[in-house]
Amino acid sequence: MSKVIIIGAGPAGLSAAITIAENGLNVLVIDEYMKPGGRLLGQLYEEPNGNWWNGIKESQNLFDKAVSTGVEIKLQTPVSNIEESNGIWNVYTEDEVYTTSHLLLATGAAEAPLPIPGWTLPGVMSVGAAQVMTNVHRVKPGERGVIVGVNVLSSAIAMELKLAGIDVAAITLPKMNMVTKESGNPLDVMNSLLHVSHMAPSAFVKMGSKLMKNDFLKRMGITFFPKNGVKMWDIPIMLRKAVVEIYGESQVEGVTIATISPSGDIIPGTEENIAADFVCIAGGLYPLAELAAVAGCPFYHVEELGGYVPLHNERMETVLEGLYVAGNITGIEGAKVAISQGVTAGLAIVNSTDGGKQEAKLNDSIKAIEETRNKAYIQFHPDVKAGKQKLQNYWNEHWKAVVSQ
Amino acid sequence: MTRRIIHHPVLDRIDETDTVSFTFDNKKYKALRDESLAAALLANGIRTLRHHEEFGTPRGIYCNIGHCFECRVTVDGVQGVRACLTPIQEGMDVTSGDKLLTSVRDWRANNE
Amino acid sequence: MIICRCEEVTYGELVETADKYGCSPRELKLRTRAGMGYCGGRTCRNAVDSIAHSSTKRDVSQITLKYQPPIRPISFSKLGGVGNND
Repeated sequence: MSKVIIIGAGPAGLSAAITIAENGLNVLVIDEYMKPGGRLLGQLYEEPNGNWWNGIKESQNLFDKAVSTGVEIKLQTPVSNIEESNGIWNVYTEDEVYTTSHLLLATGAAEAPLPIPGWTLPGVMSVGAAQVMTNVHRVKPGERGVIVGVNVLSSAIAMELKLAGIDVAAITLPKMNMVTKESGNPLDVMNSLLHVSHMAPSAFVKMGSKLMKNDFLKRMGITFFPKNGVKMWDIPIMLRKAVVEIYGESQVEGVTIATISPSGDIIPGTEENIAADFVCIAGGLYPLAELAAVAGCPFYHVEELGGYVPLHNERMETVLEGLYVAGNITGIEGAKVAISQGVTAGLAIVNSTDGGKQEAKLNDSIKAIEETRNKAYIQFHPDVKAGKQKLQNYWNEHWKAVVSQ
Repeated sequence: MTRRIIHHPVLDRIDETDTVSFTFDNKKYKALRDESLAAALLANGIRTLRHHEEFGTPRGIYCNIGHCFECRVTVDGVQGVRACLTPIQEGMDVTSGDKLLTSVRDWRANNE
Repeated sequence: MIICRCEEVTYGELVETADKYGCSPRELKLRTRAGMGYCGGRTCRNAVDSIAHSSTKRDVSQITLKYQPPIRPISFSKLGGVGNND
């Protein structure tokens, strides 16, 4: 049989490649980035047991293991299209067309923006960009930055910037509009933060989160939330201020912030400037599923998974023959979940080539995803499980409809 | 190269001795071998990588992972190369993109 | 305030167009060019989607802003195979 092709050399793609190669099949992994690891590369945080999750080391381990099991990895190779004909998938890259009977899409996630006046100025970058610059390339995105968007990802990256000796002047909200919506609403942001309060290093936030079980208390909490923020790792987290503008002549010179009401409305006359030479936009991640879309996969919008997700089952199979998905393309979750999903996708592929010998292992691996999810330190959406269930229901409905036709 | 994070409390120290030279808009700069062009430019304090073709507004690195194409530059004569995905190489000749002429539109705006 | 960085389409333009025509995201994109630039809408698609969905209801079973190959820009010579036999 032909080589299995995997698009994406992140945690999901590499773990799938290892699983498949260990079962004796040939695998080619394609990625447009210059290093293997995907978004895992930038990650750096201390786990509750005191160990550091170091994305560079984790990526290197996955890469080394893949290479030692015989996986072929082609970096710096963007895929521009995929197309199925007569049961064979054609994978188009700039210089070559690769073919395979089994194609796994592990293309990860992209960052959604929070548009703010002035956000095209040089020095404004996505928070993920600042993370990669700092941890992977070891170049400071700037000397002093402001992070716009308060969420799990932005607080984790703020800490990473701090660790590298970069001054973070504030983490604050974007001015509310039709695009920023919940990200600009203090009450919504507070709600979304409460489920990650176990990560908060500040006793104040931890204690506060226990007190805020009902809506009245939450509203009180946000009403009396200190205007200058609560400090986390010495960085003020400002839920009652919003960035109204990023200013600068030819690059970022600072941001203008204003006090906002508990529901996110700007209080006129409260504007003040914060000097900064870079700004990070933290609008969250969404599944990057463009190749699944051009292939013709059905899609569903599942808020809990971060946006439009290609229809797939728990074996990581899409409804299209020979097309599989794993990692953040199936919903926004942490790297450990992506690694588990990669194993399942890999086993599903092997299983379809050896007459179903992997059934038992495959079922175990599906349970392992669930366990990894339960133990996840960082959860991007509190109801990710409900999102997964929704998708499973869509899957069942889809096949019922197909059968009844 | 003051913008580099040589020492890090958790990550390994980086080697800053193995350098290559490249040019950006005809000025010579130093970079660390194998780093991305985007990182090399930022390390040299260069934030503006191009100007918008139509409006001339300055642009720099935005996503740093190949999705947004904001950091596209011309490398050794090849246009539209993403600086964030390009490993730097000795002698690389990099140029920024500039505003292009919109003569027809400008004429229309003034004459119609 | 710019929403689509590639084509420099503003928030005001998008909101006004969405209001005036009660646009679906796709129609909003076609009327304004938001999301039709160099990056293929990867950066602004959610924003364009949000603005359109303030006047139309989201269909959860359809991608609102269709993806078209190639999903990365390719030069015409590579696309058509012109010059490959030189």
